[in-house]
Amino acid sequence: MSRKRGFALAETQLASFDRSTTARCHVQRPDRYRLLEALPADARRITRGGGVSFVGASFAHDSVVQEMGAFDRLLEFDPEQGRLTVEAGARIGDVTRFALSRGWMLPVVPGHPRASIGGCIAADVHGKNPARDGTFRQHVEGIELFDAQAGWVQLGPNQDADHFAACFAGFGIPGLMVRARLRLVPAAQAYSLRSIAVANLVEAAEVLRSHANAPLLYGWHDGRAGRFGRGAIRFGLEAKDGTTGKHRTYPDLPETIAPWPITAWNRIGIAAMNRWVRHRQFVAGQVPTAAALFPLNEARRYFAGFGKHGMNEAQWLLPHASYAEFVAALEAEVRRLRPRISLIASKLFEGKPTGFSFDGSGIALAIQMPQPRQREQAAFIESLTELAIIHGGRPNLIKDSSLQAATLPRCFADFDNARNALRRFDPAHVQESAMTRRLGL
Amino acid sequence: MTTVVVGASSGLGRALAEELARASHELLLVASDPRDLSAIAADLGLRHAAKVHTLALDLAATADPGARVLAALAELPAPSALLLPVGQSRVDDDGSLGAAATGQLLAINLHAPITIVQALLPALLEARGVVVGFGSVAAVRGRSRNMVYAAAKRGLQGFFESLRHRHSGQGLRVQFHRLGFLRSNLTHGMRLPLPAAEPAQVASQVVANLEKASFDRHAPRWWALVAFIIAHLPWFVFRRMDA
Repeated sequence: MSRKRGFALAETQLASFDRSTTARCHVQRPDRYRLLEALPADARRITRGGGVSFVGASFAHDSVVQEMGAFDRLLEFDPEQGRLTVEAGARIGDVTRFALSRGWMLPVVPGHPRASIGGCIAADVHGKNPARDGTFRQHVEGIELFDAQAGWVQLGPNQDADHFAACFAGFGIPGLMVRARLRLVPAAQAYSLRSIAVANLVEAAEVLRSHANAPLLYGWHDGRAGRFGRGAIRFGLEAKDGTTGKHRTYPDLPETIAPWPITAWNRIGIAAMNRWVRHRQFVAGQVPTAAALFPLNEARRYFAGFGKHGMNEAQWLLPHASYAEFVAALEAEVRRLRPRISLIASKLFEGKPTGFSFDGSGIALAIQMPQPRQREQAAFIESLTELAIIHGGRPNLIKDSSLQAATLPRCFADFDNARNALRRFDPAHVQESAMTRRLGL
Repeated sequence: MTTVVVGASSGLGRALAEELARASHELLLVASDPRDLSAIAADLGLRHAAKVHTLALDLAATADPGARVLAALAELPAPSALLLPVGQSRVDDDGSLGAAATGQLLAINLHAPITIVQALLPALLEARGVVVGFGSVAAVRGRSRNMVYAAAKRGLQGFFESLRHRHSGQGLRVQFHRLGFLRSNLTHGMRLPLPAAEPAQVASQVVANLEKASFDRHAPRWWALVAFIIAHLPWFVFRRMDA
């Protein structure tokens, strides 16, 4: 612990959500505006919001971690226009509950309700149907940021537009976001959820495309050889009457989930879990909006089941043109290497890729695996990465801990430009996390 | 009626503001930085529909903080409760502080709370209101760190004792909470020998007790035992304790 210049640092062990990265860090917990300004301008630092990124995006062993938990206040709300200004440490779950109570909602929210607004911007997260609602950037009108050199800066589409754009999928590099103005949309009171069974991932893509306008649209698939891709596309439409009947309410998923002492997702565990998920997926009915937006609240035991060795989520966005070929090649690799895949999720994207954002036109597959460092698992992840790159895939940097700096120029044709566009706002590399360092950003 | 919270921008003060807003109190929040105050006021207004007024005041640089608070109350409903969760400590408070730094610590921890209480006393007496002060475990026994801070907190404890004695049976309730460790920026990064309480938890107890009679007690209550042990340790043991 050290205390100087009005701020205190605590030495704390931090871990990424997927447990791939841990570091002993110096953590500052500012709770007043003057403490945000207290770090020396040249002190290496990184912002931490909810601390729930899959990868080590909010800490590094030699960066001061600025925890924004105290900056979680709602600042201004326009009930006529649906505009809400919040501090960047506000949790997306809390913001959603507030907005819903006033008849509004954010159309794009990530799965974890404890993700912060700043984190959602920094990762440019997507929601339950990115093809319809885009990514988080489409719903932010302005950002107030503290830059170690320049001080307080107001950003917007018409105010320092390059800096504003760099904040989305900027992973904290363009500076410390402190406030954001959000554009809300009228809320659905409830969603009517239905599922369509699919035999494989190609069929899944067809169903996703044919339901592109549904507010909620995503697929779940079995990743086992012999059953590869079998699953369901879940889609939700706004319920007309808003009644939801009896529905169990789950508390928000905690920031850290204590792992079970053993990895539950061995072959037997995965088989049992797939059967259970399949059963759950085909339950139709009307669900309250908040519950539909944060399905991960029900997945606490699923994440605990990865055990202390953690997990890996490789999420790739494949262009429509090469998707079927990629899926066939991937299935062949699954048959050959027989990895343990606990879950595959599919989503439809119809956006425009910018910088390092996870956006574009195609089908995204998120492939979750236990024990990613085990030899067979690591071999499959490596193979998956190669296949995705060959087929023009775009990785989600905020999800996949297995990606390395050498891989990125192969995934992003304009890698140097994208990196320079970010580092233009931090040429001295003051803002650094374990993730930005691993990826050479 | 207005409830005044001095030191409302962080830690226990912020938690008290939140708890009081939830209980529909009209608030005057006092802290040094207007940016913090406007953020808290906006948040409490939006989440709890609370009426929140603010006063930005640097307690260390104001000769008569009581007069400033009184002036801010002029346009508001009369005060019925005054809470003073205000405090500042320094790691270099080891007997080597200069006059300016010593004066600053005394101003924030002792002078300001006393002058604010005295300025608001007539109104609080008329309203048969409540004054709530906050002490510190540091004041139980002087040690080689937090020297000025501990002395100021012990002084504040004495002032509240006198206040309680002076107004016993006159309708004014005087409550004093001797705080144990709190999870706040004051203790962030410290290796604490005992668990730290959450500010929200303590704030909830403080607000629940506002309608009760005068008292002087530890918060959380189990700190009474810890304080008793520290106060009665033989000197030859106490002087060997970690500074």
